[in-house]
Amino acid sequence: MKKILSVMVSVAMVVAVSAGCANKEVMNNSTENIAQQTQETAKETPKEEVKEQTLKVAAFEGGYGASMWSEVVAAFEASHPGVTVELTIDKKIEDVISPSMKAGDYPDVIHLATGRQAALTETLTKEKGLLPLTDVLEMTVPGESVKVKDKIVGGFTDTLATNPYGDGITYYAPMFYSPCGLFYNAGLLEAKGWSVPATWDEMWELGEKAKAEGIALFTYPTTGYFDAFTYALIASVGGADTFNAAMSYQDGIWEGEELTQVFDIIGKLAQYTEKTTVANANDENFTKNQQLILDNKAIFVPNGTWLPGEMAEAPRADGFKWGFTALPAVKAGGSGYSFTWFEQIWIPAAAENQDMAKEFIAYMYTDEAAKIFAKSGAIQPIAGVSANLEGDNKMFYSIYDNGAKATMGGFAATTPVEGVDMKTTLFDTVNSIVSGDKTVAKWQKAVEEASDKLRAAME
Amino acid sequence: MNKQKGRMGFIIACLSPAVILFTIFMVIPTINVFRMSLYKWGGFSNNKTFVGLSNFKILFKDDNFYRSFQNTILLIVIVTIVTLALALIFAGIITRIKVKGQDFFRVIFYIPNILSIVVIAAIFSAIYDPTNGMLNSILGIFREKDADILLWLGDQKIVIFSIAIALIWQAIGYYMVMYMASMASIPESLYESAGLEGAGEVQQFFSITLPLIWTNIRTTLTFFIISTINLSFLLVSTLTNGGPDGATEVFLSYMYRQAYTNSSYGYGMAIGVVVFLFSFALAATVNFVTKREPIEF
Amino acid sequence: MRQKKDNVSADQLFKVFIYVALITLAISIIIPIAWVFMASIKQNSEFYSNPWSLPKGIYFQNFIDAFQRAKMGNYMLNSVITTSLALFILLGVALPAAYVLARYQFRGSKLFNTMFMGGLFINVNYIVVPIFLMLVNADKCLKSVFGSGFLLNNVFILALIYASTALPFTIYLLSSFFVTIPKEYEEAAFVDGSGYFRTMLCIMMPMAKPSIITVILFNFLSFWNEYIISLTLLTKDAKTLPVGLMQLMKAQQAAANYGQLYAGLVLIMLPTLILYIMVQKKLTQGMSLGGLKG
Repeated sequence: MKKILSVMVSVAMVVAVSAGCANKEVMNNSTENIAQQTQETAKETPKEEVKEQTLKVAAFEGGYGASMWSEVVAAFEASHPGVTVELTIDKKIEDVISPSMKAGDYPDVIHLATGRQAALTETLTKEKGLLPLTDVLEMTVPGESVKVKDKIVGGFTDTLATNPYGDGITYYAPMFYSPCGLFYNAGLLEAKGWSVPATWDEMWELGEKAKAEGIALFTYPTTGYFDAFTYALIASVGGADTFNAAMSYQDGIWEGEELTQVFDIIGKLAQYTEKTTVANANDENFTKNQQLILDNKAIFVPNGTWLPGEMAEAPRADGFKWGFTALPAVKAGGSGYSFTWFEQIWIPAAAENQDMAKEFIAYMYTDEAAKIFAKSGAIQPIAGVSANLEGDNKMFYSIYDNGAKATMGGFAATTPVEGVDMKTTLFDTVNSIVSGDKTVAKWQKAVEEASDKLRAAME
Repeated sequence: MNKQKGRMGFIIACLSPAVILFTIFMVIPTINVFRMSLYKWGGFSNNKTFVGLSNFKILFKDDNFYRSFQNTILLIVIVTIVTLALALIFAGIITRIKVKGQDFFRVIFYIPNILSIVVIAAIFSAIYDPTNGMLNSILGIFREKDADILLWLGDQKIVIFSIAIALIWQAIGYYMVMYMASMASIPESLYESAGLEGAGEVQQFFSITLPLIWTNIRTTLTFFIISTINLSFLLVSTLTNGGPDGATEVFLSYMYRQAYTNSSYGYGMAIGVVVFLFSFALAATVNFVTKREPIEF
Repeated sequence: MRQKKDNVSADQLFKVFIYVALITLAISIIIPIAWVFMASIKQNSEFYSNPWSLPKGIYFQNFIDAFQRAKMGNYMLNSVITTSLALFILLGVALPAAYVLARYQFRGSKLFNTMFMGGLFINVNYIVVPIFLMLVNADKCLKSVFGSGFLLNNVFILALIYASTALPFTIYLLSSFFVTIPKEYEEAAFVDGSGYFRTMLCIMMPMAKPSIITVILFNFLSFWNEYIISLTLLTKDAKTLPVGLMQLMKAQQAAANYGQLYAGLVLIMLPTLILYIMVQKKLTQGMSLGGLKG
C-alpha cells in the first residue's frame, strides 16, 4: 500500500513539475508543498524512470532557516525536469556528511563556509579535494542571458576566500554575504550624547568617558569573532596589499611596522574589554557576552548581521536600538573598514554528478533563486539584490555606502602542518591578552613563527 | 581424556565470543592507531604518506602538546587526591559513625555519577557564571562589595581547578559507594577490640579501615587515571572547548583538535599513542609504588 | 569532671561538623539537579536573565516541542533499542568469559586475563575513527558482493560495538566476583553429575545476581550517555538521544532554543535517575559481594 502510494505521489509530482514548467505562477504557489513531497519520495522513487538523475546537495542551516533551501531546491527541480535533488540540511552539517564522505559517499554540492570550528571546508581544501569552478563562472545563468561571472558583484571572486590557493583559480562560489563590523546600542549613545568614533583615537576617548560611567567599551562573543575584526584592521592599517601579504604568510610581515599597529590596537582594546568577557567566551556561554550590549554594560561587540536575529528573544534596556558601524579609521581622515564575510558553495572533486552540480551552482545566481533567499534575509552578492532591503538589514548592508571600505578573504590554504594552527595562534590568544596572561610582544612573535612554518607548507 | 576434551571445549565456547569481539573492535583499531601515527594524512584523500617517527619528533617539540600534558597530569593528581580523600572520609563517616539519614546521603552522593556529561556541563556553566552564578552569588555575601569578581572559567590560573571541581563533584559518590562496600565487609570485632584498647574513631580509621581496604584503594587508583583522562576530555569539550587560550586543553581534546580541525590525522593518532602508553605506564608505576603485603582478616 | 564535659562538647562539635559537611555536599548535588528540572519549564526568553531565578510559570510546551520538533521521541526510542541490545549482547558474551577466566586454569588463561586488563587502557575516544574506517571498508566489500552495505547506520552494529568496548571493564568486574566463590559449590555440582554449562548457568549465575545488577547499572549509564561512537557511526536520521541533544545545543548564528534544550536534558536524565533509584540498594550489595574488592 505504502509503495503504491509513493509511486502515485511521485507520478503526481512529475505531472506537477511539468505543469509547473508550462505555468510558472501555479508552480510557485505549490513549491513548498512539493519540496516536502520530493524529500519524502526521493528515497522511495523507483529507479525505472528513464531520465531520472539525483543530485545530492548538502547545506548548512544558518540563521536564515532551512525552508528557503527547500523552496530553492523545488524551484530548481521545476526548471530541470527529471532531476531529483536530495537535500541534506543541518545546523551541524559537517557532522552529518563527513562520516559518509570518509566512506567515499560525497554530496555533489556542498554549501558550507570556511572558518567553522570543524573546518571541514578547510580540510577538503588542504587535501586538494575541490573541483575548480572556473567554467561555472563562464556559464550562462540558467534561463537568463547573462554569464555567472557578470552577475556576481565585482571583487567577490578574486580573493583568497574563493581562490584558496592564491593561484587565480576559483574553487568556492560566493553565497550569502554579510558585512561584519561593530554592533552597539544606538539608543545608549544618543541618550549620553556620545558619537560613534571615526578614528581609534576617538575610540579611546569614548572608552575613558564610558569607563567613568561604569560602562566597558568593548566585548566579544568568542575569540573566533576576531577573524573578521582582525582582517578589517589589517586592511585598514596597510591596505589590500598588506592584507594579501599577511594572508599568504609573507616573510616578516607580521612583525613589520604596519601589523605591529594591529597588535597594539587590539592590545589596547583588551584593556577596555568588559571583565567577564573571557569567562563567557566559549560556545556554551557566548550569548552572555552579546547580552552585555543589550544591558548597556558594554558598548561595542564585533559581529555579523545575524546578531539581531540571534538575540531576538533576549530582554533589553529601555530605548534599545541596534547600531552598526565599520571599524574606525587608523588615522584621522582615513576610511573605516568592514570585513565582508560570505558563505561558500563548492563541489567536492569526488562528486559523482559534477555537471548537474555545476548547473545547480549556476542556478543559485538566477533572479528566481536570489529572490527566494532574499525573502529569508539571505543576501547574495548579486548586483541589485541589496537594493530592496528593509529595516535593520538596510542599515547593515548600507555600511559601505557611508564610505567604509570592504575587505574579503582569509588565510591561504597550505598542506597541514602538525601542531601549527594560525587561527588558534592569532585569535585565541586574545583571551590571554585581555586577562593579562600574555604580552602583546610575545603574541606577535608566536604569530610570526606560525606564519613562517605555514609559508614553508605552501606550494 | 574425554573429560579433558569437554573441559577445553567448554572453555573455548565461553571465551571465544568475547575474544573475537574484543579483537575486532578494540585490538585491531588500537593497532591501526599505532600504524596511522606513522603516516601523514589529512583524513579524507587517498594520499597517505609514510613519515616514520616524524610525527613523534614534532610532538616532542610542540609546546601546546606539553601544555595539554601538564593540564592532564594536574587534573589526574588533583582529582585523585581530593576525591580519594573525600570519598574515604565520607565513606568512613557513613559506615562507622551512626549518622542519621545514612541511606539518604548514600543515594544522593551517587547521583552526579549517573548524569550525562551534557547535563553536568549545563549545570556547571550556570554555577560558574561570573555575574549571576551560584558560586559568585554565595561568595558575594562574604566578600567586600567592590572586590573583583572571580572568573571561574575566565581566569587562566583558576579555570583548570574549576574543571577539577566539576570532575570531583561527579566522581565522589562513585568511589564513596565503592569504599563503603569494602568497608562493610570489615568485621565489627576488630573495631570493638580497638575501642577497648582506647583507640578513637580517627585512630581506628587509620589503623584498621585504611590498611584493610588498601587493595581496593589501589585498584581505584587505576580507575582514577583512566576515567580522568576520559572525562576531562568530555567535560572540557562541552564546557570550555579547551579555552581560554588553551588553558584547559587536555590530552584528548588536543588530539581531536589536531586530528580533525587541523587536518593532521596522523599527528592526532601519534598523540593517541602517547596517551595510551602514558596511562599504561602511570598505572603500572602507581601500582608498583603502592604495593603492600595484603592484610587478611 | 571538667575534662569530661570538654570531651562531650568536642564530640558534639565533631558531629555538628560532620553533618555540616554531609549536608553541604548533598545540597550541592540536589540544587543543581532540581535547577535543571526547573529550567526545563521556563520560557525561552527567561533564559537570558539570571539562570537561578524561579520560572515565571509552568511552560510545558518545551517538552511537546522537544518531542515534536526536535524529534526527541525518535531519538529516545533509538537510545532505548541500542542500550538494551548492547546490554543483552554484553551479558551474553561477558558472563561466560568472566566465569571461565576466573575459575579455570588453562594454557593461555593468564595471557587472556592480561589482555582484557590491558583493554582497560584503550580509550574509546581515539579508536572510534579506526573502527569507523574499518566498517567503511567492510561496507565497500559488502557492496561489491551483495550490492549494499549494512554496517554503518545500523543500530545493531552500534550496540555490538558498545558491548565490545565495555568488555574489559565488565569482565574485570565479574571475574573479580567469581574468584571469591569457594570451589566447593562447583565440586558438589560436578559430583551430582552436572555438566560444565549446567553448572555455570544454574549454580554460578544465580549467585552472581548482585554483581550482574551492578554491571547492568554501570553499563546502562555509559551506553545511555555515550555520544562519540554514536555520533560517528549513525550518520543518517537515526540518532541517539545524547547526539540529538548535542545538535540542539546552540548552533551559532541562530536563535537558541533553550527551552527545548533543557527539556531534552530532563529527558536524558530521567530514565537514569529512575533506574538508579530502583536498583540503588542492590548496587552497594553488588559491590560488596565481590565486584570491587580488588
